[in-house]
Amino acid sequence: MSSHFANKRTAGSFFLSSALAAGWYTASSALLSGQAGETIPVVGAIVLAGLAPFIIPMARPTVQTEDAQLGMAQRLKAFDSHAIVNIVDTKGLLTEVNDRFTALTGYTRDQLIGQPVSMLYDDDFKELAAEIRAGLKRGDTWQGETPLRCADGRMICTQITVMPMYDTAGKWTGSITARTDVTRAHELLAERDTAETLYELRDDIWIVDAETNRLTYMNRSAMRRTGLSDKAYSAKTLDELAQEADCAPILDACKTLAETDKAMTQFDAEMFGKHFQVTIKMLKIGHAPGRFLIMLHDITDIINEERTKSEFISMVSHELRSPLTSIKGSMGLLLSRAAGDLPPKARALLEISHRNADRLVLIINDILDLEKIANGRLEFDMEKTNISELLHETGSANASLEQRFGVRIQIENADAPIWLTTDPNRIIQVLTNLLSNAAKFSKPGDRIVLRAEDSADELRVSVTDKGLGIPVSEQHKVFQRFADLSNSNRSSKGGTGLGLSVCKAIVESLGGKIGFDSREGFGTTFYFTLPKKTSQMGSKETAPLLREAS
Amino acid sequence: MIKLLHVEDDADIREIALMALELSGEFDVVQCETGEAALNQVQTYTPDVILLDMMMPGMTGRQTLEKMREMDSLRDVPAIFMTARAQHNEIEELRELGAADVISKPFDPISLADQVKTAMQAG
Repeated sequence: MSSHFANKRTAGSFFLSSALAAGWYTASSALLSGQAGETIPVVGAIVLAGLAPFIIPMARPTVQTEDAQLGMAQRLKAFDSHAIVNIVDTKGLLTEVNDRFTALTGYTRDQLIGQPVSMLYDDDFKELAAEIRAGLKRGDTWQGETPLRCADGRMICTQITVMPMYDTAGKWTGSITARTDVTRAHELLAERDTAETLYELRDDIWIVDAETNRLTYMNRSAMRRTGLSDKAYSAKTLDELAQEADCAPILDACKTLAETDKAMTQFDAEMFGKHFQVTIKMLKIGHAPGRFLIMLHDITDIINEERTKSEFISMVSHELRSPLTSIKGSMGLLLSRAAGDLPPKARALLEISHRNADRLVLIINDILDLEKIANGRLEFDMEKTNISELLHETGSANASLEQRFGVRIQIENADAPIWLTTDPNRIIQVLTNLLSNAAKFSKPGDRIVLRAEDSADELRVSVTDKGLGIPVSEQHKVFQRFADLSNSNRSSKGGTGLGLSVCKAIVESLGGKIGFDSREGFGTTFYFTLPKKTSQMGSKETAPLLREAS
Repeated sequence: MIKLLHVEDDADIREIALMALELSGEFDVVQCETGEAALNQVQTYTPDVILLDMMMPGMTGRQTLEKMREMDSLRDVPAIFMTARAQHNEIEELRELGAADVISKPFDPISLADQVKTAMQAG
């Protein structure tokens, strides 16, 4: 907001401007009602900057000619028609407003007169208002922009000149403010800035008339890509352009949008030899078809980067697996006594190596899974599955945990068949992970309970151990990758640090939720739910993009 | 004895697989380093089962099998793939191509012989 106080007036102009200002409003009203002849000598002028040169010289208290009086009357009429004027007294209460003021703001005079002028301002402006008021007391004029609150609560922006008023004795009696509404000017500037920004945008912007399908706007980037100039695009319909240029997906999407009540659609498409994220917004005008605002965001580089990253991870994983095959295979053969008996110490060391090679394989598998999930490429083989049977199968498949950790896996509430359409292998993967964690953190002789709870909407499967539990201060980290939990001792327990992240991503990809309840020293229950509606997924589904897994 | 043709470019893996299969005492193993070498080998040797690495320089395991399937003598011989990139869709495709099984690397050498025999029965 630009503003300034004018210099203090000279002694000579003090009387003049006081007298003029004090009588201005009554005088101008009288002039407008055709009583110019009698009132001119006391007519004051509070002026917009542009009117000052005309009014002040003519308002000297000298004998005026009739022509001069008429001229002054006409100028004041023009001013009154143009400016929004209000007068306030020394207490800051409104005492006068002109017709332009009431017309613009929507207030009636009764609503304004006698009210504090601060009712027209925002709280933000009140500090400046106090400053202006202090300046007026000193005899300073203030010019600048201020917001003004209208009767309907809307704020408008006004360019104002505010001057102090004095009586004939030179005593300060208040102030008079003349305003010009500059809201539209600001809007136009904003519109111009918006238009310039759109034009300069790196994304392509198209606007299409939904009724005629004719292009009404293209920014520079769009014109460059389609090879159309200003005039050329306005002669085209979207159908014609789709025949000439590689933009059929846009045409199809606009047609679909026009046939539905949807306001917006967003999709990725390959056009013009590149990958784009396309956003089409239907801008309706009342009940008329309106316009399509089409935005094309070039994501070719992002896609290429993701592909390169994905291929790199896949390749690295493959390259790691080959030597691991030899390492694990050799150790496996040695441990099987294929090369004869080993001394006990050598065998113990070999078992450590073999166990850690297994762990490395699991880490590679988890990294690959997370990478696939992040890119929406994790495949799900959905089939009607008896979850009860699946729990028993998983329990049997993990019987080695019972031997290794001295625990007992008990399956509860899974006698009757519980049918659900899901990916059984992925569920086994999740359960194996949860069982493995439970076993690692249990004491020998502990029981681990694998339990199913079936309800109308969802299935809940839980794995409960009586182990160490997870400290409250670390529970927020549980599903983070490589979370460094103080009692996890990952390396000695053979964890990958990724298993629970993978479980979370799989369960959420299947439309479920995963969580846990834990009390340090008493044990932990990990659980996940699967919605019964997952059955609507097809036989082979790709997981939705899970950015949190990336 | 089961005549097994093993095609694998990694010498260490060839050696481990050979040792693992010989442990069972039921396999007569012939090994080749590339798909091209395997195609030469089968001109004079008809195996009962083929164990093929997927990713090899030159002809891939899949291309090698496709060529072998063109030969009358090998059209119905069970083929088992070994792969370090066991993507679900790839496994499905390999099965559609006539693979009796797909073994993921790293494989368990102790159970390799049993896996091969099971796949042969299924195939």
